[in-house]
Amino acid sequence: MNFAYTPEQESLREEVRQFIADNITPEMLQEMEESGIRRRGPQVDELYKKVSQKGWIGMSWPKEYGGQDGSRIDQYIVEEEFARVGVTVGGAGSGAPAILAAGTEEQKKYFLPGLIKGEIIFALGFTEPQAGADLAGLQCRAVRDGDEYVINGQKMFTTAAHYGTHIYLMARTDPDAPRHRGISIFLVPIDTEGITVRPLWTIQNEPTAPLGTTYGERRTNEVFFENVRIPASCLLGEENMGWYVGAMGLNLDRVGASRYLISVKRDEDIVNWIKENDLDGYSPAEDPAVRDRLAELWIEAQVCRLMTMRSMSLVEHGGNFTYEGAAEKVWAPEHGVRTTETIAQILGPYAQLLNGSEDAIEDGIYAHNLMGAFQSGINHGSAQVMRDQVARRGLGMPRG
Amino acid sequence: MDVIPNEEEQMVKNLAREFLEAECPPSLARNMEKDEKGYPPELWQKMAGLGWLGMSLPEQYGGQSLPLTYLGLIIEEVGRTIAPVPLLSTVVPSLTIAQDGTSEQRQQLLPRISRGDLIMTWAMQEQDPRLLPETVHLEARAQGDGYLLSGTKMFVDNFVVAEKCLVAARTAPASEQSQGISLFLVDTGSPGISATALTTLAKDKQSKVTFDQVSVPASNLIGELDQGWPVVQRMLDLATALICAQMVGATRKDAEMAIEYAKNRVAFGRPIGAFQSIQHMCADMILWVDGGQLLTYEALWRMDQGLPASVEVSQAKAFCNDKCVAAVRTSQIIHGGMGFMMEFDLHLWYRRVTAWSLRLGTTFEHRAKVSRALLDQPGKVRLGMTMAAVP
Repeated sequence: MNFAYTPEQESLREEVRQFIADNITPEMLQEMEESGIRRRGPQVDELYKKVSQKGWIGMSWPKEYGGQDGSRIDQYIVEEEFARVGVTVGGAGSGAPAILAAGTEEQKKYFLPGLIKGEIIFALGFTEPQAGADLAGLQCRAVRDGDEYVINGQKMFTTAAHYGTHIYLMARTDPDAPRHRGISIFLVPIDTEGITVRPLWTIQNEPTAPLGTTYGERRTNEVFFENVRIPASCLLGEENMGWYVGAMGLNLDRVGASRYLISVKRDEDIVNWIKENDLDGYSPAEDPAVRDRLAELWIEAQVCRLMTMRSMSLVEHGGNFTYEGAAEKVWAPEHGVRTTETIAQILGPYAQLLNGSEDAIEDGIYAHNLMGAFQSGINHGSAQVMRDQVARRGLGMPRG
Repeated sequence: MDVIPNEEEQMVKNLAREFLEAECPPSLARNMEKDEKGYPPELWQKMAGLGWLGMSLPEQYGGQSLPLTYLGLIIEEVGRTIAPVPLLSTVVPSLTIAQDGTSEQRQQLLPRISRGDLIMTWAMQEQDPRLLPETVHLEARAQGDGYLLSGTKMFVDNFVVAEKCLVAARTAPASEQSQGISLFLVDTGSPGISATALTTLAKDKQSKVTFDQVSVPASNLIGELDQGWPVVQRMLDLATALICAQMVGATRKDAEMAIEYAKNRVAFGRPIGAFQSIQHMCADMILWVDGGQLLTYEALWRMDQGLPASVEVSQAKAFCNDKCVAAVRTSQIIHGGMGFMMEFDLHLWYRRVTAWSLRLGTTFEHRAKVSRALLDQPGKVRLGMTMAAVP
């Protein structure tokens, strides 16, 4: 075992930090935050172009598809530094690993470089109104018709649909097969005729959550498919094998820097804030109850970090993890909730104040986090579903 | 960065498990609870033969010069099988002597320890349950070419079988220059020493040891006079990291017993392990142990690298205290009534893990150390950065 980064990795981290200091401006973060109501703007596009020119997206992917044949740990370092300023890079969600594993040569050559350059953005189209935690119950239909598929149905919480270029779609192709074996995945251009995207506004909207600091999105979407015709070449992997392709991608998407970091950044924020501030003479940093609780949370944050390191190490070893990704997905979000709620109790009534309010501390992030922190434990597989996975896949416990 | 044990480390662990599972059935731990010595000497000799006692001691003293992480992996397995041996109480002082002893002391003691000829222990704690320099009152008064030790030590492990004991004593009041603590090597059979066995939760061998003008030659001082506190601190850090490994090993086995039980115990027409309420308890147990294990490995690894590790050790112990106890309690709950029947083995693990959570620093003490590092020094904190311990 080895808990240190190499000197090369340390200097990569320095380089990324410097890049961030040089390139990410408050105006750019503002623009990014506003992507909740409009497409990504010119400054953000420019940023992604620069990041991609640096070779910092898809670093662990093969060179022939625009990657670096590099280490997942390197990619993690880049993700972690960007995540600290609230910018997501590198991961490209669960679509990219699925394409790498199951895509045709043509799909790999088209999508992977596009994802790296930021020209392609996937919106995850898995969840439906009647299929959330029980994803395999999804009903959105795709029917083969000659060289095409015809899609009808509805997707929910399709968060990137209003600025993405494609929907990474899970649909039922065989309604008569056992439910896990009649599902396929499609990469659907979002501008295809028959697709309607409607906004769903979350409790994080109005007032705008402060820049790049909160859990949760202001906007997500519902997407309707009405006789949407797509070429059969949009199918990813084999027909009816989509459940397995999708699950593998999700597994990899659950690990990594951004989820862990959004949870632990709050620990850093509150510690750094109470070290330098008091509340009219009351210093939480000197309050024994606060000190004990903050230490407890800080230790938990270390566990989040180490569980993420474990997943990264396992990916580096070939990605054979059974429950470790799920473990990380239980710990980090639940830790984030504990931290958020503890901070609120430290600040008391000040933690109610939202962005823009008179006397709000740190632009009201703590109030916004009370609305957002628990979301991280719900999306992309709830903590309860993750515990099921730990128990069944990791520990071999029987199904009920 | 690769937090997974490598092939060689895994091999060390596997071999240790294989050996211990063959040698240490639960009945051994059970029998040793009633044994006068509390350990089987034949097993101790076998462990010496495997090189475990000198695992991380220098080769010139009969050791293997292997990293502390290796020793940690072995102690994890010792915890797993709750092997009744005075391993922790011997290897910790041996490493303290290796680091801070004179070459004469090393030459005299370390080869004997490696061979399995010398069982040791240490005595630090007194009436105050905390591990702080100001809690040390046992006095060592200079007299002639030596010292006279008077006072009482609590919770001394395996004193009844140890031949030598490292004793933290007060040689001066705390001052700007030092904490006034010195560390002495004391023969447990010295005149003036009387030991009373304590009856403990783990039914292990702990003693209350009274020193009445116990004479110790000056050559038995470990480190410098009055400057013993940093030596004691390093010793405590090492002992704490290793007891975490022991807790993690024992807790994982305990959790595995609950998982196995849940797969087989039928209620309401199905194995109780098919109920989500039980599955989630099992998932949490494993996540808790994993967390404690990762924190412990990181602390040990940092010690191996010669990096500051005091804060990391406290992180591990605070977490293990909390979560290992939660896990073994959860395991008891899953086992229902059978779990607390004397004839059933589960309580052997439960009683030890809960007892170990009370040794070498409580959750409050270790969190206090972490909060001092977090809050009482200038500059911004950042997760993943090294934090200096604040005394």
